[in-house]
Order: sequence, then structure tokens, then C-alpha cells
Amino acid sequence: MHGDDEMKRSDATKGLDWGGLGVLAVAAALLPGMVSEFVLSLALVCLMYVALASSWSLFCGATRYLSLATSAFFGIGAYTSALLLDSLPWVVVVLLGAAIAAAVALLIGAAVLHLRGTYFAVLTFGMTELIRHAVTWFEKQVTGTVGRVLMVVPEESTVYFTMLGIAVLAMAVAIGVRRSRFGLALRGIGADEQRAQTLGVDTRRVKMLGFALTAAFAGAAGAAMAVRWTYIDPVTVFNPFIGFQTVLIALIGGAATLWGPLAAAVVFSVLAETLRLQLPQAYMMALGLLLIVSVMVLPDGLGSLSRARIRGWFAGRRRDG
Amino acid sequence: MAERLLEVRGLTVRFGGLTAVDAVDAWFDAGERVGIIGPNGAGKTTFFNAISGVQRPSAGTLLLGGRDLAGQAPHRFAAQGVARTFQTPRVFAELRVQDNVDFGLQFAGRQRPAVPALRDAMAILELIGLERLAQLPAAAVTPAQQRLLEIGMALATRPRLLLLDEVAAGLTEAEVETMARLIGRLRDELGLTVVWIEHAVATLLRHVERVLVLHQGRKIADGSPAEVIRNAEVVEAYLGDEVL
Repeated sequence: MHGDDEMKRSDATKGLDWGGLGVLAVAAALLPGMVSEFVLSLALVCLMYVALASSWSLFCGATRYLSLATSAFFGIGAYTSALLLDSLPWVVVVLLGAAIAAAVALLIGAAVLHLRGTYFAVLTFGMTELIRHAVTWFEKQVTGTVGRVLMVVPEESTVYFTMLGIAVLAMAVAIGVRRSRFGLALRGIGADEQRAQTLGVDTRRVKMLGFALTAAFAGAAGAAMAVRWTYIDPVTVFNPFIGFQTVLIALIGGAATLWGPLAAAVVFSVLAETLRLQLPQAYMMALGLLLIVSVMVLPDGLGSLSRARIRGWFAGRRRDG
Repeated sequence: MAERLLEVRGLTVRFGGLTAVDAVDAWFDAGERVGIIGPNGAGKTTFFNAISGVQRPSAGTLLLGGRDLAGQAPHRFAAQGVARTFQTPRVFAELRVQDNVDFGLQFAGRQRPAVPALRDAMAILELIGLERLAQLPAAAVTPAQQRLLEIGMALATRPRLLLLDEVAAGLTEAEVETMARLIGRLRDELGLTVVWIEHAVATLLRHVERVLVLHQGRKIADGSPAEVIRNAEVVEAYLGDEVL
């Protein structure tokens, strides 16, 4: 089980985790007054992927159920935002985005969480496409639109702090779950699901809850992000790329680790925003290369790097030289 | 008369056209040590899978404390005090030995009454004799120790009924004796009902009070070891490929 190192970690490191999260949260909260609009919008994307990748890892990293449904939950959140923004307070809109995404996750989960491996991955992707086409069809046939314009949107700083709140909460939940019975159950499912069952884990319930929790964060992130785009349509908000990138970030960062997905999310968002506009092909190639290298050199992700291992590399190099 | 722990009626498990367990009736009383023997493919492990919830039966009832658990998920069986080991040890390889035992305590064992010998992970490790290896990753201990650890993990669910699937397979003679002594203690000191499948029939017969014989999915004998080895049908079932 990959969580082994985490289990050995003492309460002191637990304190470090909370401290680290606090420092990062304060630093991110100070950004709006200090940096340009461009950097701030970059930071917003970073926070979005921190929320998506950390919450994805929380369930998928521990249980090894590879979900490609992140885009579905993100899109559901975005549409919740588009439909309700005019009539409800901002906080309620974001919370509803999370709640509806979680509810849909429970439905999807009931249908596909008994499958493992490739079957689960492919079906979650299929569900995402199904939802996207259903929304497209509904908008065309019933409401007679192809997309939606969000007229009155919250201020940029409001959106930024909302996304910061979602990202910090995702990390806080990840830290809390790691040491909880729920987290142990998730890791048990990842290591040997049937063995965990025979030792008393209600695996179905644990998987449903974990999947819904992941979806809630993706839904909240989608709801918050929709107002940044001011115009949304199914192709944009249900874009499978959001889901793929979340999975890549989590895997490269180390889906079983706590800080790996966060670090990878920041690196990737910066890479994406700086490269994608000028050199879109270069960005996609860099993404592919990084995935290949990380799977070959660091199969458990950047976050699994221990000090001993880094020392080992340098020691090896000295011997070579 | 001893309390009836588990009553199995008409248990049937079919895989497509193959009937792996065929209308088996059986019962296990509190504090009994029962062996299950049978040639390869007799349905022993499938029988275990069915009475531990791992395999949903095609038909039949599994009365545990008066309730029918047939068709329920394995965690319900664990919650009712049914624990099992697997033929190939399925320990959590990357967890420490101690955390492997702690897992069961955190889930099924949590809601069940705790006797002193099963109060915590260290007590269980002492019982199975692995207390010195508590801090090692489970992957780092020998196969024989992993078999003991499997039993420790099962004990952590604080069971009433312990199902052991070939725990002595591949062990040396001395290790088998240690294992048998441990299993004896589980009954004598903890009052556990132990049901034990073993391929090595002679070893098994020395350590149980009652034997069920399965052959082609059906129960063909049920009695004391002495009775069973005199049973003509049993001898016939084994003839040619097994030595009693």
C-alpha cells in the first residue's frame, strides 16, 4: 500500500502538514494585492488544479480507481452556476454546484463502482460524454440555446478567494482523511478490496462516499470557474481535457501522496498558461514527455521522492564520476 | 449441548454449468474444531467463500445467530463474527505487520466484544508469536510468518468462527506443529470455533474432532476422524490420487 510512509509519519509531521497548508494559504491570500492581473489569473488556474488534483487523489489515488469523470462534475458545477447565479447568493451557488455534482457521482457510482481497472476508467469517461451530450441536446431541444452568457458575475477577487477556499478545503480534507478510519478503508480497498471487505470494511459505502467527495470539489471548482469565462457551453465546461489533465497532474505528482498533486498542479498550470498560448503543441508534447519520464523514473510520482532516494541518486552520480 | 453458531442448509454455488457446491447441509457449534477434506476441486474453498460472503451462493441459507446472511456482503459476515484466511496469504504487503493486524481492529473488530487476548494489535501479535516483527513491512516477513499474520488479521475482527484455508500448506513439519498448537489455543483459550481446510489429510485428522468430506461439491461424510476414514465412500473418493 502506498500510504505506508504516511502511516509511519508521526504527529510531528502531521503538524507540519497543517503548518505547511497554513503558510501556503496565507501566501496565496496575500497575492491579490501584490501581483499583476495576469499572474493572479494564473494563480486562479493553479488553485483550480490544486483543488481538482488533490480531491481526485484523495479517492482515486488511495483506492486506485482511476476516474475520468472529473470533467463531468466540473461541467455540472459550471452549469449550476450559470443557471442559478442570478437568483441565489454566490456562496449558495458554489455549494449547490458541489452538492449536485456529488449527487450525480452517487448515481454514476451506483452504476460503475463495482467495476475495477480499465472498465471503471472507460465507463466514467463514457458517463462524462453521455452527460455532455445530454446537456447539449437539452439546451438545443428544450431551452433553445447552444451556450449561456453569465451577465452579472462576482468580482475577480471574490472568485479568487472562493477558489482559494475550495483548494484549501480540498487539502485540509485530504490531510484529515489520511489519518482517519475512512482513509484507512480507502487504502485497504486500493491494496486488496476483498481482503478489506472480509476485515469488515463496507467497501461499497466507502467507495460511494469517496467518489462523491471527489465530485463535490470538482463541482465547486466548476461553479466558481464558470463566472470567469462569462460564456459557457457544453464543449468548454465538459471538456475531457480538464479531466485528463487532472489525472496526469495527480499521477505525475504522486496520487498516493499529499503534497505531490499540489506541487504538480502549480508546475503544470504555470507551464500550461505560459506555453499553451504561444506554443500549444510544445505544451502538449511537454505534458506527454513528463508523463512518460515520471512513470518510468518515478512510478509513484514526485511526491514519493524521499530524501534518501535523492541522496542515492547523487551518491550514484558521484560513483559514476 | 453446545450453542449452534452457523447452520448451513442446501448451500449451492454454480458457475455457469458447473456446480461447485451442491446442496450442502452443515453446522458448526461453539468451540468445535472441524476439518474439511476432499480431493482437488471438491469445492472446499468455494464452500468457504460462500460461508464468508465472498461468493454469493446460488441457493441455500446461512443461519448465523438465527439470521440468514446468504447473499450479504462479506463485511456483514465479519460483523457477525465470521473471519477467514486465504489460501495464498493476502496481507497488506506495504503496511507494517502491526498495522496489518490493526486493520481488522479498526473495522469489524471495533463493534465486537473484546477478550483480553484480542484487546489490541500487540496482544494479538503476542498470541501468534510475531510481536518482534511488529514494525517490519509485511512484505519483509517469511511466507510462514505471513500465514500466521493472516490468522492475526482474522483474529483482529474478534470472531466467533474462524475459517482457515490451508494455513499449513508449504510449511515445514515443525512449523505445522507450531500452527496446530496455535489453532488449539484459539479454541481452548478463546473459545473460538475453528473450521480448517487442509490438503494434508493426516495432519488435519490429528487436530480436529469432526471432519466433513466434500467430493464433487457434495458432502459425502460428516463425523469423527475415526469414523470418516472407515467410510467406504470417502476411501473411494480419494482412491488413486490420495493416501489416507
